Amino acid sequence: MDIFMEQLPIVVHSLNVGFLQTLKLFFVTLIGALPLGLLICFGSKSKITPIRIILKLFIWIIRGTPLMIQLLIIYYFPGLVLHNPIWGGGEVGRFVASAVAFIINYACYFSEIFRGGIISIPVGQDEAGKVLGMTRSQIFFKIKLLQMIKRILPPMSNEILTLVKDTSLARIIALQEVIWAGQAFMKGSQGISGAIWPLFFTAIYYLICNGLLTLLLGGLEKKLEYFR
Amino acid sequence: MRKKIIASIMAMTLCFSLAACGSNNVSADLSDSASLDEATTSESTESDSEGESEVAKIQEAGTLVVGITDFEPMDYKDDEGNWIGFDADMANAFAKSLGVEAQFVEIEWDNKALELESGSIDCVWNGMTLTDEVKSAMDCSNAYCNNAQVVIVPKDKADDYQTVESVKELNFAVEVGSAGASEAEANGLNYTEVNSQANALMEVAAGTSDAAIIDSLMAAAMVGEGTSYADLTYTVGLNSEEYGVGFRKGSDLVSALNDFFKASYDDGTMLKTAETYGVQAALIEQ
Repeated sequence: MDIFMEQLPIVVHSLNVGFLQTLKLFFVTLIGALPLGLLICFGSKSKITPIRIILKLFIWIIRGTPLMIQLLIIYYFPGLVLHNPIWGGGEVGRFVASAVAFIINYACYFSEIFRGGIISIPVGQDEAGKVLGMTRSQIFFKIKLLQMIKRILPPMSNEILTLVKDTSLARIIALQEVIWAGQAFMKGSQGISGAIWPLFFTAIYYLICNGLLTLLLGGLEKKLEYFR
Repeated sequence: MRKKIIASIMAMTLCFSLAACGSNNVSADLSDSASLDEATTSESTESDSEGESEVAKIQEAGTLVVGITDFEPMDYKDDEGNWIGFDADMANAFAKSLGVEAQFVEIEWDNKALELESGSIDCVWNGMTLTDEVKSAMDCSNAYCNNAQVVIVPKDKADDYQTVESVKELNFAVEVGSAGASEAEANGLNYTEVNSQANALMEVAAGTSDAAIIDSLMAAAMVGEGTSYADLTYTVGLNSEEYGVGFRKGSDLVSALNDFFKASYDDGTMLKTAETYGVQAALIEQ
C-alpha cells in the first residue's frame, strides 16, 4: 500500500500528460472530420457521376480497412515508398500523421451519418422551398440543416464516444497517448518498473471523459427537443 | 462492362493521387519548421543518387534522430525529463563527435525496422540484441555490450527449475521477435508470443504463463527483492548474446560509429560511462 501511495502521484502526472495528448487528438479529429465529412457527404450525393464514384470508392476503402493499417500507411509510406519522410520522427510529426489518419477515417463515417440525416428529411420540404423561390443552399441551411442535426445527434454521439477510445490506436506509430503512458510503467519509467495497475487505471480516464461527453450530448439533444 | 472496370480503376488511381496531394498540403500547413526542414533535406537527397553519405545528410540536418524505448539502464528519463542511460549518453557523445545534436524519439519497438527504413529515425540505439532477424533488417555496429536471456519463474517454484531440461514442461511467455523468442524456439519450449518483455513478466505474475524469457540486464533491474515483481526470480541462463546499434542499410554511419566506439574505448570514456550505469561488467572490448 505504501508503495502504491508513493507511485500514485508520479503515475497520475504521467497519465495526465498522456491523456492531454488523447484529448488533443480527439478534438483535432472532431474539428477536422465534421466539416470534411459534410463535404464528402455532399460529394457522394453529387450529380456529377465521376465525383460520386470516386467518393463512394474512397468511403469504401477507408471504411473497409482497419484504422490501425491506415495509421501505419499514412505515417510510414511517405518515407518507405516515396523516400520522403514528410512527417519527421519527432512527436509533432507523429501527432500530425495520427490526426490526418483519424480525420480522414472519421470524416467517412460522419459523411454517411450526414447522408442518412439528409435523406431522412421529406422531399415535400424541398419542394415547398422551391415553390417559395429559395435557392438550393438556402433550402439546405435554412430548412434542412437544423432538422438534420437533431436527427443525427444520437448516431453522432455513438461515433464521438467511439472516437475517444479509438485514439488509443495511435500508439502503433508511437503517439504517446494515455495507454502508452500507462504501459510505460510496465517496462520501467521514472523509477517505477513492472507496475501493472497504471495500464488498467487508464480506463478511469476514458470513463470520466465519456461520462462528461454523454451528459453534454444528452443536454444538446434535450435542447433540440423544442421541435419535432 | 469492360469500360466500367477501366473507369473504376482510373477513378481509384485518381483517388489515391488526390489523397497523396491532400496529405502533402496538410503537412505543409501543420508541421513545425523542424519537420519542414527535414522535408526539404530529404527532398534534396531524393534528387541525388541513392547511397549518398548519411553522415553528410545528418550534418546538414543538424540532428541525429535516435530511436529508443524507455529501458533502464540503457535509455531512460532523469527527473528533469532528459534522456540518460548508457546508450543515451553514448549516443549524445557520438552525435557531438559528428557536430550534431542527438534527438531521442520513443518508438514502438515492433516497428523499429519500419521506422528506420521510412527515415523517421536515423538509428536504433536501445540495448538491441544482434539477432539474425535484426542483422538482416538493418546494418549494425560492432557489438558493445554482452547480455544473456534468462528464465523468469515465481520465486516459490524456482528450486525446481534450475536446468534447461527441467523448464521444458513449462508454458513460456516471450516478446514477439525478441532474442528470448528465438531461444524458446531453439530449445523446443512451449511458448506464447506477447507484445513486450514487460507483458511477458505480467503473464508470469498473473499466472497466465508459467515462465518468461527476458534479457538479463532487464531481469536484474525489474525482478526480485525491492522491485515490483518481488515474487519472481530468474534461474537458467539460456545463451549469451550481444548488443549493437542499428542503422539503415548501406549507411556510412556504421563505420563512423565503430571508429567512435574504438576511440572512446581506448581513451576510457566508454568504460567511465558504463560504470555510471553499472553495466561495466558487460562491456565488450572494441
